[in-house]
Amino acid sequence: MADQTADLRTRARLSLPAFRQLGMLANQKVRVAFFILVPILLLTAAAPLLPLQGPLETNLGAMMLPPSIEHPFGTDRMGRDVLSRTLQGVKVSLLVGFSVALIALVVGMILGTLAGFFGGLADRAIMTVVDIFLAFPSLLLAIGLVAIVGTGLVPVIAAIAMADVPRFIRLQRSQVLSLRSRPFIDAARTVRASHGWMMTRHVIPNTVAPMLVAASIASANAILVEASLSFLGLGIMPPAPSLGNIIRDGQIYLQQAWWISTLPGVVILMMAFSLHFLSDGAREELDPRARK
Amino acid sequence: MGHPRAPQAKNRTPESHAMTLLSDVDATLLDIRDLRTEFATRGGIVTAVDGVSLIVDQGERIAIVGESGSGKSAMAMSLLRLLAHPGRVAGGQVLLQGTDLCALSERELNAIRGRIVGTVFQDPMSSLDPVMKISRQMVEPIMRVLGLDRDAARAEAVRWLDKVGIPDPERRIEGYPFEMSGGMRQRVMIAMALSCKPRLVIADEPTTALDVTIQAQIVEMLKDLTEEAGAAMMFITHDLGLVARFAHKVAVMYAGRIVEFGPVEAIFEKPQHPYTQSLLRTIPAVDALKGSRLPQIPGVPPDMRRKPDGCAFRARCAVASPRCARDEPVLAPRPGGLATACWVEGGLTAAPEAPRPRRAAATRRENRVIVEMNNLVKHFDQSGMFSARPPVRAVNGVSLRVHKGETLGIVGESGCGKSTLARLLLGLEQPTSGEIFIAGLAQMVFQDPTSSFNPKMKVRRIIEEPLVVQNWGDRAARAERVDELIQQVGLDPSFLNRYPSQLSGGQRQRVAVARALALKPSVVVADEPTSALDVSVRAQIINLLADLKAELGISFVFISHDLLTVRYISDRIAVMYLGEVVEYGPAEDVFARPMHPYTRALIDAVPIPDPRLESARHNAPLKGDLPSPLDLPEGCAFASRCPMATDLCRTDKPALKKYRTSQEAACHHAN
Amino acid sequence: MLDYSLKKFAQLFVTVFGVVTLVFFTLRLIPGDAASAMAGDTMSGEALELLREQMGLNEPLGRQYLDYLHSLITLDLGDTITTRIPVAELMAKALPVTLSIAVLTILLTVVIAIPLGTVTAYMAHKGRSRMDNLLTGFAMIVDLMPSFWTALVFLLLFSLTLGWFPASGAVTLDDPAAFLARIALPVLVLSVSQVATMARITRTAVLEILSEDYVRTARAMGWSEFRVLFRHALKNAALPIVTVIGLSFGNLLNGTVIVEFIFTIPGIGNLLITGINSRDYQLVQTLIVFYALLFVTINFATDLVYRALDPRVSF
Repeated sequence: MADQTADLRTRARLSLPAFRQLGMLANQKVRVAFFILVPILLLTAAAPLLPLQGPLETNLGAMMLPPSIEHPFGTDRMGRDVLSRTLQGVKVSLLVGFSVALIALVVGMILGTLAGFFGGLADRAIMTVVDIFLAFPSLLLAIGLVAIVGTGLVPVIAAIAMADVPRFIRLQRSQVLSLRSRPFIDAARTVRASHGWMMTRHVIPNTVAPMLVAASIASANAILVEASLSFLGLGIMPPAPSLGNIIRDGQIYLQQAWWISTLPGVVILMMAFSLHFLSDGAREELDPRARK
Repeated sequence: MGHPRAPQAKNRTPESHAMTLLSDVDATLLDIRDLRTEFATRGGIVTAVDGVSLIVDQGERIAIVGESGSGKSAMAMSLLRLLAHPGRVAGGQVLLQGTDLCALSERELNAIRGRIVGTVFQDPMSSLDPVMKISRQMVEPIMRVLGLDRDAARAEAVRWLDKVGIPDPERRIEGYPFEMSGGMRQRVMIAMALSCKPRLVIADEPTTALDVTIQAQIVEMLKDLTEEAGAAMMFITHDLGLVARFAHKVAVMYAGRIVEFGPVEAIFEKPQHPYTQSLLRTIPAVDALKGSRLPQIPGVPPDMRRKPDGCAFRARCAVASPRCARDEPVLAPRPGGLATACWVEGGLTAAPEAPRPRRAAATRRENRVIVEMNNLVKHFDQSGMFSARPPVRAVNGVSLRVHKGETLGIVGESGCGKSTLARLLLGLEQPTSGEIFIAGLAQMVFQDPTSSFNPKMKVRRIIEEPLVVQNWGDRAARAERVDELIQQVGLDPSFLNRYPSQLSGGQRQRVAVARALALKPSVVVADEPTSALDVSVRAQIINLLADLKAELGISFVFISHDLLTVRYISDRIAVMYLGEVVEYGPAEDVFARPMHPYTRALIDAVPIPDPRLESARHNAPLKGDLPSPLDLPEGCAFASRCPMATDLCRTDKPALKKYRTSQEAACHHAN
Repeated sequence: MLDYSLKKFAQLFVTVFGVVTLVFFTLRLIPGDAASAMAGDTMSGEALELLREQMGLNEPLGRQYLDYLHSLITLDLGDTITTRIPVAELMAKALPVTLSIAVLTILLTVVIAIPLGTVTAYMAHKGRSRMDNLLTGFAMIVDLMPSFWTALVFLLLFSLTLGWFPASGAVTLDDPAAFLARIALPVLVLSVSQVATMARITRTAVLEILSEDYVRTARAMGWSEFRVLFRHALKNAALPIVTVIGLSFGNLLNGTVIVEFIFTIPGIGNLLITGINSRDYQLVQTLIVFYALLFVTINFATDLVYRALDPRVSF
């Protein structure tokens, strides 16, 4: 548990300086996104230190209590503190979001570049498989995959990633196709540059930025899908908390204890919203029209 | 219209007063007074039009000439408030027959647009609605403006289509824009504008996107039709030479202001403003001495976000005085009927003209053949899985030679195959048949400076790349070579640490040349290297190429549609039409005594910057459109448009034959 | 056009084939085999063997595959494990329900999103960015609300607290009024999830068109802005809008699973959940193939409609 926390914090710190270098904090949307994300991250990381009941601790004497100072999000039917569970669920969501985005980015860029650059048989083969995967509505694909592989964190990540990778391949391929016909590629060809050279020096560096933007949207999407899966009982299973299964637990008591199902949902919304804002702001900054 | 002339509420600025001296008040159609237009951009407010005053009389043809950033298009769009956000008219008056257009509401203005003032825009490919039939786009405005019913309006539209030279107008009118070529679409636009019988036609760069021979047709047609209708025309262009063909008066714009205005003869014969004078000098004259360098205008047009104090041109002006840095000059009357905004009387003539430096004589040309092409053919396959379509025959049997130290100029319009030929030379495409032999390495300078480089690479790495790929030398040796190259193309080594996006178009092309020279190629192919650059910058690049040719003894293949430049820089010229070479010979001879009718037509179509010569020319512009390489005729490719075509021409394809000692032409009737 | 359609149909066929094959083989990847997975701990030994025999799991793989294809084509989809009702029958009853929800959702979404998108595009074009930004931000929030959460909130608010709509009860097409009352909330929830995206894409399409040259030509001819919007913008925007409607339909397939679960609507989505929970893998397999085929067909049809509308391609 402590390792996971430290992990998350390190990841957050690693990304900030990179952004600052790109001057993105100057963008208003990015600032708003950070304004929302950073407190959430801090709270999550600091959760063990807060005066909150542990996420798995039950307290049958304090069941279904409405939000109060002691329990800001109230308690559920087993007396567990909902905020504490929510923060734990946030950790899971962020982990899922980040992992899915990373997998989709790496696999998508590799296969998309190969398909777009070499064309021909490799392209046809890759795109046929992509088309087949894209034939499934994304949630249903994840549902189907989970139904086979089973529930749990790793299967969920794998399932969602498998649904996203085809989209990334397609995106990267289209970028590569349009870059391939640009004169600077021709110029490299006239001096007999190798394929590897052209791909690594020219093509990939010019595709990274939009892919990163797509990755941040994909991570927001992954968070939503994981929550949906857990809600349907197909993702993270209780007692391990996930934002989705907390909401599911509260469904039966919707009228009596509305806080269990509604408040964690607000947190999901905030995370998804700030990630989208982040990617929008990043896209604005990267737009060549904005370049001085 | 019949609006009573509004009383002169505002006092005239000295500028607009100067304008009135040049025109006949009773015949005034359009009176622009101190127009100011701004754009609110992220980097600040750009004053695109900075106090422009201009008068256009009834039936008069005025040309507005300027480069990018001069504000000419913004001014034209401001007249009818066609500016898109973030642009807006910030001040001034636009009096059309006495009514101030700037004070009208949107609805009132709509009554004038199309009806009193017609517009023809630059890009015919995008200026027509792609999903709407031509008939609807033409007929409905006619119905509205002339008050005719649908049938009468349609008949009128067809009549106009016929007038502008659209073949088979009854059928064409029911078609869609994408079925037509650029030239034809532009004719449709002109028909659309003129069919509503406006008093004034604003034409914003109407021929810039068109080929030379088509351009000549369109300009001629605009002149004839507006004259016939008694309409005035405001023609906006960057091509000063074009203007001599049809304009009565010319206004030269720079940095948002009119710097010179007057009758066309005076502008061309005795211009007073240094900018106008420089512009005229950069056009390679018909009789230019090849050995002398093209005069060029140093520097670049100013950044309109931060306009300098005083005269905007002074940074590039050879005769700038201290006053030029303090006070912004205003238009004042000059001899010849001109109004000029300059503190220095006589402009550049005030300074004794430095003798034009002669270029060092080229290293003696050897007869070694560097590039040899034999019967080169390139067909592009177009068939899909379920359809069989004829291939695009881009290059159809080309045989040419380039000797060491020689510059071969290749001239032709779109679809002639010159770009494909360039790609074949560089190995970017494989020939369908035929052979290419190159002694050494071939490199290329591309047309578009914006996409020629990887935007993520600094200039140093861009120039260094060929060396790195070929494992040339060690790091130190490469750094030294890169320094050598950047200076050879006339740029300061500090540019090496910049990104391409931080350079101007001209600077980028220099970097492109440096990159091309890195591996000491034996031939450099330049594919339209100056077409995307401003006129004042083109001469810089041409001079650079000519200098390098003389210094390094490299062979060049210079591809362009700009005849005057090609003639200036080339030793031999090959004229291409539909994938074939139709004429080939020494540059001087091909130009002075063209043998092939197409070459003759091309030369005729080139505008000469001399109004008297132009009006004396009896130009019958070439009829018809450029045929498409998909649909090649049996006999001579040019037969469909050739004034001399006979039955023999239509059945028998002529081969390149020598007619004079060193000139060849592919024509049955070359005399 | 014909050439394009044929090519696309060929691709479609390959994709469908791939989908069907993929589902078949992944189900064979379940650790253990399908029979024991389905049976769980309830069966063993002989009973399990019998089940395996029944499911045809003892046949060679190739044979199983062909049988599978055969059963799909002839719509002989077997029976559910739990209730022994023919799958085909269940699907035939559930499909109209889901389709009604989907169609009503699309209608409601289109009616709101397209005018909204057009108006915001117009405002953005004129530079009135504050209103535009406000609406865009609002739309973004709405877009990102997880649909199950929105469903619960709506359920709580409109059904349990305010009592405007029933939260339970039969859902049959015999009683249209009751039917509509039952599906009203699901339709609302799904609309909410789609409206923002559709409005955004409409806005982008219209905005792009408003800055095209031919719109400027139309204004230069003296047409009023209103007229230009209708004469040119909408017709050209119809193309990307048709695409987004098709896309929306596809996304709805995701959403119906969730809303049917929450509002206990007996549609295809609910059937899927039931199947998963009762470990009825045959049912799940069939439904997933069905969903995929539906999705692919909708995309194909959208593409064809798009091409048909664009005169540049129809010729």
